[in-house]
Amino acid sequence: MGIRSFLHRLTAPTPVRMSSLGSQKLVCVVNQSLKMGKGKVAAQVGHAAVGAFLDAGSSHPGHVEAWLASGQKKICVKAPDESLFEELVQSAQRLGVPVHLVKDAGHTQIPAGSQTVLALGPYNDDVLDTITGDLKLL
Amino acid sequence: MSLMDDAPTMALIVRSDLAMSAGKTAVQCAHAAVKCAQLARKNNRIYDRWLEHGGRKICLTVDDESHLLEVMAQASAAGLVHAVVADAGHTEVPAGTVTVLGLGPATRRAMDAITGNLAAL
Repeated sequence: MGIRSFLHRLTAPTPVRMSSLGSQKLVCVVNQSLKMGKGKVAAQVGHAAVGAFLDAGSSHPGHVEAWLASGQKKICVKAPDESLFEELVQSAQRLGVPVHLVKDAGHTQIPAGSQTVLALGPYNDDVLDTITGDLKLL
Repeated sequence: MSLMDDAPTMALIVRSDLAMSAGKTAVQCAHAAVKCAQLARKNNRIYDRWLEHGGRKICLTVDDESHLLEVMAQASAAGLVHAVVADAGHTEVPAGTVTVLGLGPATRRAMDAITGNLAAL
């Protein structure tokens, strides 16, 4: 082996193999205490998905790539109120799952700063299930 | 939605004839939003301005698939970023069903010209 390829082997980042990551998804947890309309919820989940995609694109590029390549799977689940968000964020951070919290600008329906949707992922299905598996689908 | 300022907007246009649940609708809109953001990011100066202003999104409705395609044709003719979501058929609707059309980000003027007469979701 030449000195250059030897150095390369020492310093190159380990390639992330998409196949090794398994199935990926994005979980959007909607704050039910705000009583948002259907269109409002859809827009907030849209914010969450774009935000999660952009944040995780730099922090977890391998996961985002695998998620996009497999049809960007998303699910929506319900949280009774925002007190659950903090708990979910802590579990997610412990497991290395990216999180993105949407706070409303307050233009319509609800007060500014309300925590509307928490996005977890994109990350491995099975890891996310350990965090949000017992939440009901929206 | 009143004209509060001229920040760029993304429109997520949902087929009302499918009668999807709130969760299904939200997920389909999120698909459209991510797709449009991906497309716009490549070469769109409005994209940066859109993000700076909070990535505004509005949800509108169309009556059915032909109405959706009609709006898409107008957007295409006007040179707007657009993405259509065809469902994978895992839940609620048959595979390949066109569910949501995402438009923009675009200026309010360009968006209103195309979506001005659509009802909010």
